[in-house]
Amino acid sequence: MSDQKENYFIYADPQKCLGCKSCELACGLVHAETDLFTAVLEGYKIRPRNRVVQAENVKVPLQCRQCEDAPCAQVCPSGAIGQRDGMVFLNRDLCIGCKSCAMVCPYGAIRVRSEAQGKGDGRIKRAKALKCDLCVEANGGIDGEACACVKACPTKAIALVDYEDLIQRSMEARAKEIAAVASGREK
Amino acid sequence: MNKEFSADQAVKQMLPFAKKAGVETVWDRFEKQQPQCGFGTLGICCRICWQGPCRIDPFGEGPSKGVCGADADTIVARNLIRGIAGGTAAHSDHGKHIALTLLEISEKKAEGYQIKDEAKLRSVADKLGLPQEGRDLYEVAGAVAEATLEDFFRKDESIHCSWFDKTLPKERVEKLEKLGVVPGNINGSIAEIMARTHIGTDADPVNLLLGGIKCALADYVGMALATDLSDAIFGTPTPVKTRANLGVIKEAAVNIAVHGHNPLLSELVCDLAAELNEEAIKAGAKDGINVVGVCCTGNEVMMRRGIPLATNFLSQELAVVTGALDAMVVDVQCIMPSLAAVKDCFHTELITTMPTCKISGATHVEFSTETAKESAGKIVKLAIEAYKRRNPAKVNLSDITQTAYAGFSTEAIVAALSAVDPNDPLKPLLDNIVNGNIRGVVLFAGCNNPNVVQDHAFTAIARELAAKNVLMLATGCGAGAFAKAGLMTPEATEAYAGDTLKAVLTAIGEAAGLSGPLPLILHMGSCVDNTRAVAVATALANKIGVDLDKLPVAASAPECMSEKAMAIGTWAVSLGLPTHLGVVPQILGSELVTKVLTEGVKDLTGGYFFVETEPKAAAAKLLGAIETRRAGLGI
Ligand code: SF4
Ligand code: SF4
Ligand code: SF4
Ligand code: SF4
Repeated sequence: MSDQKENYFIYADPQKCLGCKSCELACGLVHAETDLFTAVLEGYKIRPRNRVVQAENVKVPLQCRQCEDAPCAQVCPSGAIGQRDGMVFLNRDLCIGCKSCAMVCPYGAIRVRSEAQGKGDGRIKRAKALKCDLCVEANGGIDGEACACVKACPTKAIALVDYEDLIQRSMEARAKEIAAVASGREK
Repeated sequence: MNKEFSADQAVKQMLPFAKKAGVETVWDRFEKQQPQCGFGTLGICCRICWQGPCRIDPFGEGPSKGVCGADADTIVARNLIRGIAGGTAAHSDHGKHIALTLLEISEKKAEGYQIKDEAKLRSVADKLGLPQEGRDLYEVAGAVAEATLEDFFRKDESIHCSWFDKTLPKERVEKLEKLGVVPGNINGSIAEIMARTHIGTDADPVNLLLGGIKCALADYVGMALATDLSDAIFGTPTPVKTRANLGVIKEAAVNIAVHGHNPLLSELVCDLAAELNEEAIKAGAKDGINVVGVCCTGNEVMMRRGIPLATNFLSQELAVVTGALDAMVVDVQCIMPSLAAVKDCFHTELITTMPTCKISGATHVEFSTETAKESAGKIVKLAIEAYKRRNPAKVNLSDITQTAYAGFSTEAIVAALSAVDPNDPLKPLLDNIVNGNIRGVVLFAGCNNPNVVQDHAFTAIARELAAKNVLMLATGCGAGAFAKAGLMTPEATEAYAGDTLKAVLTAIGEAAGLSGPLPLILHMGSCVDNTRAVAVATALANKIGVDLDKLPVAASAPECMSEKAMAIGTWAVSLGLPTHLGVVPQILGSELVTKVLTEGVKDLTGGYFFVETEPKAAAAKLLGAIETRRAGLGI
């Protein structure tokens, strides 16, 4: 697996987040495959995969970090969670709603909720794990610009992070600084 | 430009110039605002007190109450009626300004203004039940002004506003009185909304909505008096042929746009432009001064003077982008603050005139009734000076205009009908409604809104209804849309009207000496003039002895946005009209409020709102509402 890229993940800058919850609404709506007016008028339940939390004065949405050694994948008894194409993928068809993943997620980013409209058949509740899927289903793959929460954020606090790209850019930025200092000395 | 922003050809022509000049337009800003906040869109964000802002989770997972305990129903209702109060305040401030000017005219203190339509003033005095015997014109004017101002300030609020009782069918007044929603004075109704929506006051959504209805009816009063007193001072409109769209801005003229709402300013600018025409020619503009209109003050001078209309609300910035507009003179309402930045790219002088409406970056020339002439002169001279600075390299003239007929006041419509039957003018109209040649009447009102392709909803719905033989009236920026699209012409009647409607419009037009049909859509004025349509409906209702909610009459605001539109829509519903909105109102966060306004209110007033954003479906629903009313009348 040495040629495999490290996972992408959604990151929100707490300095820019105003806590408006637009990202929550957008995430819920994109997964319900509907628009706001229809969802409200039809009484749909929307299930955002992210949640805006506040600690002290800091507000920020939290969602799955797409861990490299993902505890949820380790504990899932039905093999519903695993690494796939640069993310931690949750196969909802396999999920039995045991909540193990939710218990071990250090970010509290997994919730087990029913998305079914209606009551089920009395035997099962159809509740399954929900977590940030980087909108891959809606977008047909990982596309940072197209993630619903990224598009919805009015302050552009949210971005899809390509970890390697980020590291590369940080290094280049520091190198430039060093170069500037060095060339200053030469003069 | 792959997305369609506007159905207006001149707008399409001008947007690339805006882009080239680095001008940011309303559509650019709308784009940047996307996506707009879902909480606000649903009306469930409350900022009334500083414990908030509070938001309700529309999906029932998160908070269902604000910090104070207000739920979605209370919050939505409070937000909505505060909007109605804003609209009422805007309209009635305009009306109060006119009434105070009438008072000053009666005291001979308002140089530059006179009573141009004595007959209208006297008919208003009659309507208000004011004695005229032994009183000269100025005394009558004084009495009318005093009685009108009483409707703003009346101490005993249990007494109805005179302009309410005297302008509506008796049955309607009684019905609304039973609901406890008849306003006693305008200012009090607005203040009452602010008081009852303060934190910890009215929490009952239905009670709040009734308060909103009362305030909206005060808005009706403010509009009715503004229209009629404007007619007395400036003349009651009669049909006039003019032109509309950006092509009315001319290269060889000093172009002055009057923009905003109140004829007190625009009329005087027109007067002074005529007086100072020679100066403009001396400055090199061989065609002299060319006054054009934007938004509703544009409609006011269009109807009374045939001043051409440059454009309506959404495209106001593009009038400046022509590079040949030398001054944009504004008073109040619907003036985009962005104009200051747009004019910085050109030579245009942006002139504000009201102490309550300043824009930083604009030149302020204060306008008051006493010094109106002087200020208007100063404004025109500023325009001539600006003309000298015009940069030919930045001129992007449009060649697009359409013929438009305007000026169909109630009086003008009755006059046209009298040509058919002098003894009983309403009879021809009524007969044709009864026999089905005219299925019903739709009044188009309201703004533009970038949520909708500009002017498209108006024109698309109108074409559908025309084919179905519906008589159409229009005001405000809706009227502007039709004028620009060439739908306010006899030719449009020929092209789009169904056979029976065409026959009726032709018979009336020919009898009235127009040597052709009446225009497809009748221009009734600015948005404050919507009450003209109520006057026509009231006359019809009185004639057949039914209340307004029985008539096959509906209202439509396909591109609404302003608080004034919220107030107008609410009084239309309160007066019994099915009222279409083409923009989703910010109330869906409360199922209860939505239900009351679209269904429950039917039982109270006979009117109701319905929302339809797709023009064809909207036309079908308007027609359905009309047919239901016809069935109710057994016709
Ligand atoms: S949309 Fe942006 S600003 Fe709003 S809560 Fe989410 S991250 Fe914060
Ligand atoms: S809830 Fe579903 S995904 Fe999570 S551990 Fe249990 S089976 Fe696996
Ligand atoms: S990337 Fe998609 S799934 Fe993940 S939090 Fe954002 S909107 Fe929700
Ligand atoms: S009035 Fe109530 S709901 Fe509104 S901001 Fe204050 S506490 Fe919140």
